[in-house]
Amino acid sequence: MVMTTHEEKMRTVRFRVAATPHIVLNSEICRNQCSVHACVYVCPANLFVPLDDGGILFNYEQCFECGTCYIACNQEGAIDWSYPDGGYGVTFRES
Amino acid sequence: MRIAVCLKYVPDPSTIEVDPLTGMIDAGRALYMMNPADESALELALRLRPPSGTVTVFSVGPVEADHLLQDALAAGADAAVRVWDDSLNNTKPIVTTILLAAALRVQQLPDLVLCGGHSVDRGSGTVPALLAEYLDWPVVTDVTQFELQSGRMRVQRRLARGARAEGEVTLPAILGLETGLVHLRQASLPNLMRAKHLLITRYGLEELDLSPQDLHFPAMTLHEVMPPRPRARVMFTPDSTKSASERVAQIMSAGVSGKAGKILDSGTPEQQADAILTFLLEQGFLETRA
Amino acid sequence: MTAPPAKEQFDVIIVGAGPAGSAAALLSARAGLKVMLLERGEYPGAKNVSGAVFYGSAILNELIPNWWEHAPVERHICRRDIAFMSPTTSVALDFHCVGDGYGTAPYNGFTVLRPKFDRWLAAQAEAAGAFVLTSAVVDDVLRENGRIVGVRVRREQGEIYGNVVIACDGVNSFLAKKAGLQRTFHPHELSLGVKEVVGLDPAIIQDRFRLNDNDGIAFEYLGAITEDVHGGAFLYTNRDSLSLGVIGQISSLVERRKRPYELLERFKAHPAVAPLVRGSKLREYSAHLIPESGWAMKPKLYTDGMLVAGDAAGFCLAAGLYLEGMNYAMQSGLAAAETAIAACARGNFSARTLAAYQKHLKQRHVSTDFRAYRHAPSFVNGPRLQNLYPEMVACGMEQLFRVDGAPKRKILPLAYRMARQFEMKPGQLFRDAYQVARAYLW
Repeated sequence: MVMTTHEEKMRTVRFRVAATPHIVLNSEICRNQCSVHACVYVCPANLFVPLDDGGILFNYEQCFECGTCYIACNQEGAIDWSYPDGGYGVTFRES
Repeated sequence: MRIAVCLKYVPDPSTIEVDPLTGMIDAGRALYMMNPADESALELALRLRPPSGTVTVFSVGPVEADHLLQDALAAGADAAVRVWDDSLNNTKPIVTTILLAAALRVQQLPDLVLCGGHSVDRGSGTVPALLAEYLDWPVVTDVTQFELQSGRMRVQRRLARGARAEGEVTLPAILGLETGLVHLRQASLPNLMRAKHLLITRYGLEELDLSPQDLHFPAMTLHEVMPPRPRARVMFTPDSTKSASERVAQIMSAGVSGKAGKILDSGTPEQQADAILTFLLEQGFLETRA
Repeated sequence: MTAPPAKEQFDVIIVGAGPAGSAAALLSARAGLKVMLLERGEYPGAKNVSGAVFYGSAILNELIPNWWEHAPVERHICRRDIAFMSPTTSVALDFHCVGDGYGTAPYNGFTVLRPKFDRWLAAQAEAAGAFVLTSAVVDDVLRENGRIVGVRVRREQGEIYGNVVIACDGVNSFLAKKAGLQRTFHPHELSLGVKEVVGLDPAIIQDRFRLNDNDGIAFEYLGAITEDVHGGAFLYTNRDSLSLGVIGQISSLVERRKRPYELLERFKAHPAVAPLVRGSKLREYSAHLIPESGWAMKPKLYTDGMLVAGDAAGFCLAAGLYLEGMNYAMQSGLAAAETAIAACARGNFSARTLAAYQKHLKQRHVSTDFRAYRHAPSFVNGPRLQNLYPEMVACGMEQLFRVDGAPKRKILPLAYRMARQFEMKPGQLFRDAYQVARAYLW
């Protein structure tokens, strides 16, 4: 199993899911002011899903907490980014 | 009121990886956590604790389980007890129970013992009931809610098919709780810091006045662990001796033929029993005739 | 439970238990300071990802003699490759040394698995007397009269007070930003690394890479491996696994609309890489940001009551020839600790006192290295080095070695032909040559 799908990759990572999301999207901005939707492409965990209405759906549960999305996001304020509560979120075992 | 909570340090199911060839778990890859049902039990114990009461947490496990007890202390437990002896290499429910019962006695028996009903690793769900046997206390399992009313515990139990049962039990008693009732609270920073310095009481067999013989239960012996081997699936093929229309009908029914039951209403009871046995052998439910 | 003691005061509060934070905590604790080391993961290293080759063996050896005998290390690096790739060709510079300092103690570098190595290092700090607190995420600094006097942990009663705060909270450093020391970043300043650890039998690793016992390799790739995305790729050997990954500049990933994990798959499928990873099995996938711009994104490093070290300070040298972070993280952490120790001795924690950090960084060759190679990152991430030159070199070598009955060309005419084929203008070539020279030669 050298070549792996994204789902197979994500299955090897352990997440302890916090009760509340640590990243919040302002979907209004995504819908009305952003045509690039860079987050959809760059997120290594593929957590940003474009919606029919031009908005973005975000799933925080499998987040690597890397910060790529808010760096790539060209619209100020569309992504409110922080870390999950202490002890929650991703836990790497070997990387 | 003194409350005891039994906690188990279990591997997070999402980190358990089984080698497909040997069927063994890759121990180096597993990460451990507090058993979710036990987490509920601890949180409910902390909520139930009156101002003058105490919550003591107990765990049977090696030194790594101190992490678990430290988390419990940080969340607000008053004391923690870890039971282990290096001669132990497994934690069969019965062994766990004997150790827990002994530790509870040494610590002076509490008024209430809360347990998670099932662990996510072994999941036999037997410890609350076994504990009741060893302490000679009443036990209520599958508890979804409980409330203290003038010295008696009102409990709600989950029954099959969504039904609920309500009842009462007098203290001292043991409750086995369902998973996922509540989550453990987030510890405050001072509590988190203090928990690192709080001492965890450690009991070995000697302190519990037990000998290895007391834990020796030959009733169940593990001989071998094997990976599951699914039975080869039989593909449906229509009967070639049948006519085309019959074969098409067979295919259309996707191999499902009506359940042709057979009612055994003749013969002696011995003959009927023999027929059942033959049926079970033919269908592969039994491997050999006893 | 009794009420917590009011306003417990630490000498040093270190935020982040990576190599910078743990090294700072170790040194400060050994100096007798009261040290708090805060980590947001459930254990130190739980959130940490890098290649991961640790080139700071000699640095750590000063703190913990023969540290590799105790620490969870994988293999020591005695072979390094830098390969220029076209879709079908690879031209590599291959360095192999089993001699002094590479194949023998104190060794030049080790591959490590960060969750294991970082956890071990934090445990050394704890053993030296530092208070290591995990599951504690820090959201902000605490100020009194304009001076930073502590940090706020996201928990009830989460204030912790200390004389010096050392922010080692990584590339996304919230502390450096909250303290007003760091600006927001541009997508071209940071790169995203995606990585896999794939399991492979140690005997196969040794055969496949021609290694003795615990020898290891570090391969780095430039060019077509990331297609038209600016970046590179790496492949390192661990004891019974390989660490491999692709690095892509964020602005470039956005521009080309490339998904990083798809680039990773293409890397593994490249004809020069596929035989190296054959038969391996995925063990873990991960991702992390890399502060690739180094010197250009360095924050202000100190203020009243606070210092910044490690990735938080941009101390990551991504200069083509070098891909080093952990060693500079450790050095800067140690420099910060030295500054804090001196400040505690004087009882003065003003920006003026903490300015000595610059002197310590210089003594530990951090600032000098980054200054010396300050031009390299922008050149390495430039479009021509990324796409054009690797392809040109690969194509040129391919023609140089080709025997097809046509007359052999000497190198200069061949180079001239290559330059014309790839539409290189002489002026551009000279400018780039000057860039290389400025970045690496003097």
